[in-house]
Amino acid sequence: MEPRVKEWKFMVKRVRETPLALAGLIIIIFFILIALLAPVLAPPTYSDPFKIPQDKEIYSLTPNPTPPTLTHIFGTSDQQYDIYYACIWGTITAFRVGLTVVLISLIIGLILGVAAAYYGGILDEILMRFTDIIIAFPGLILAMALVLAFPAAIPINLSSIFLVFSIICSFIIIMAHPDKKLLLITQMIVVAFLVSYIYQPIVLHLEITNLDKVLFAIAIVGWPGYARLIRGEILRVKNEDYIEAAKAAGSSDFQIITKHILPNTIYPLLVVVSMDVGSIVLTAAALSFLGIGAPIDYADWGQMISRSRAWIRNPEMLASNFHTFFIPGLFITLFSLGWNLLGDALRDVLDPMLRRR
Amino acid sequence: MTSLIAYITRRLIFLIFVLIGVTLMIFAITMLFSPEIRAYLYIRNIQHVTPDVVRSVIEKYGLNDPFYLQFSRWLGQVLQGNLGWSQSSAQPVAEAILTRWPYTFEIVIFAAPLIIFFGIYLGVQAGVHRNGIIDHVTRVFSIIGYSLPSFWLGLLLLSVFYGKLGWLPPGALSYEAEQAVHASSFVRYTHIDLIDGILNGQFWITLDVLKHVILPVIVIVVIDIAVLVRVMRSSMLESLSKQYVTAARAKGLDEKTVIYKHARRNALIPVATLSGMLVAGLLGGLVITETVFGFGGLGQWAANAAIGLDVPAVLGYAMLSALLFVIANLIVDIMYAYIDPRIRLE
Repeated sequence: MEPRVKEWKFMVKRVRETPLALAGLIIIIFFILIALLAPVLAPPTYSDPFKIPQDKEIYSLTPNPTPPTLTHIFGTSDQQYDIYYACIWGTITAFRVGLTVVLISLIIGLILGVAAAYYGGILDEILMRFTDIIIAFPGLILAMALVLAFPAAIPINLSSIFLVFSIICSFIIIMAHPDKKLLLITQMIVVAFLVSYIYQPIVLHLEITNLDKVLFAIAIVGWPGYARLIRGEILRVKNEDYIEAAKAAGSSDFQIITKHILPNTIYPLLVVVSMDVGSIVLTAAALSFLGIGAPIDYADWGQMISRSRAWIRNPEMLASNFHTFFIPGLFITLFSLGWNLLGDALRDVLDPMLRRR
Repeated sequence: MTSLIAYITRRLIFLIFVLIGVTLMIFAITMLFSPEIRAYLYIRNIQHVTPDVVRSVIEKYGLNDPFYLQFSRWLGQVLQGNLGWSQSSAQPVAEAILTRWPYTFEIVIFAAPLIIFFGIYLGVQAGVHRNGIIDHVTRVFSIIGYSLPSFWLGLLLLSVFYGKLGWLPPGALSYEAEQAVHASSFVRYTHIDLIDGILNGQFWITLDVLKHVILPVIVIVVIDIAVLVRVMRSSMLESLSKQYVTAARAKGLDEKTVIYKHARRNALIPVATLSGMLVAGLLGGLVITETVFGFGGLGQWAANAAIGLDVPAVLGYAMLSALLFVIANLIVDIMYAYIDPRIRLE
């Protein structure tokens, strides 16, 4: 059997033998099912499914939250938003937040970590001091500042992007196939974009919702951890014999990095990614709790809880509206717990010091 | 010894770079706002603002100037000891930090020792009895600990102990204690009410602080202890598998000596770093926990400043946190040189 396949089989076997890992997996699968079945579990009333339906009938009587009833099985929050609906659709929001942020930080961390470790020297020094600065920073406050400072719409000049892109493409085509016809066509395209760029630029106003801003902000705060981890792992394997062998065999830098180095650093990354999805959802919820993030009618767990901030000095409201923060909070905790359980078990399985004993 | 001094000097130079980097970053972020918005930070009476006033403020403080000019101007002010005016708290930034930190301190003074002591104890026990009951129990509880949103835990505790039972109120002081503290007969020696209560012989004020501190401390301990327990456990496991432990056992030492004198002492090294960072992080303010309980410490102040786009305050807070972080790092590194003779400060 190929060693890599063997490794995966060993991992799957160990995860299945660990009850806590299994519990984590079950929780994650449970949430995946909720996310997939959301349109069935909670049929949307608006064209935007993330808009929480509001019970206007009760709202005309009272703005205060009402406890669970048959029509609203988790009750309603203040202004009569349905908590059940928000929790179900909030699951999709949670996956979106967790996975997008991990993906963005992973990509940034991967590029910079690989660059720092593989090329070393002054580049390494600059990049690592830069991560020092971000890590020395109070993360939550930095994220808050970023969310507030991001503009709500970014004008993107499509003409300039196309222009640069078409110039690069034409160069590649000329290098690869010095064909007169193709050359003419690409040059015409370049000229067309140039004219468009000068006279009538196509500008796309990219609308950025508050939630998108939260995603970017958390990723910007989070990538240094990945960059450092990847850098450390690469430094660890860089001087191994098989890398030397690949170099001697004439592999390019790119081949060595993608074929030999990255596959050997993937396991410690898996652990961090799994744990990170859990903690990112907590951070996003914390930002929502502080009042920065999704708007009041958007299906997001943290946003549901943020309204209880108003009752902190009001014991009656706190006690009687227990359901409005208890239920969404339970979703957040379980979601984060699932990923953390999985990550914790993976660490034991993958730790070379502790495995196979 | 000379190497130690050279090392500290190098770290302090590094600290300056980190501080400049941190502030440069915040400054760059704030530059995303238009000069008109930033002008409001300089106006003390926002009610009567005309476009002319805004224009004159932009003119006066050079808010249309290039980035590097504005930054160097701000840096020059900071070097003269002027951190600027905090719009959100209506007082100078330095004064705001000085009046807020005692509250954060009141929480940290209880939370940090509890976390470090119990974290190390539980981690050692879990490591020694690997796969035993205590290992499984601490594992489950620590995983739950870092899956819990702190604001949710805080709200749950508040709704039970304040909403239902009425025992432990939010805030940092009750109304009566607040009055007493600000009375002219009360001498504020340290500005930490917990200690000033004792020094003034008014023990009920200290008790009042304790009553308010219990819930935030519980939240912090439950959530922050998790990481420490896990790190201590794996460090202990690694230490127990080392040859010096086998050697100690072979010498015929009893198991207690082996565990506590040989294995634990070596296992403490990574935990020391973590504890240092933890305390620095806590002292820098507990943004969420303080907000949930309305405790009014540095963290809540910083959160309000960020929401209010109070740039000088956020800059001041960022510098404070970075300072704490780097100093904690420095202390831990120096401690290492004493704990572990293999580590040379180069």
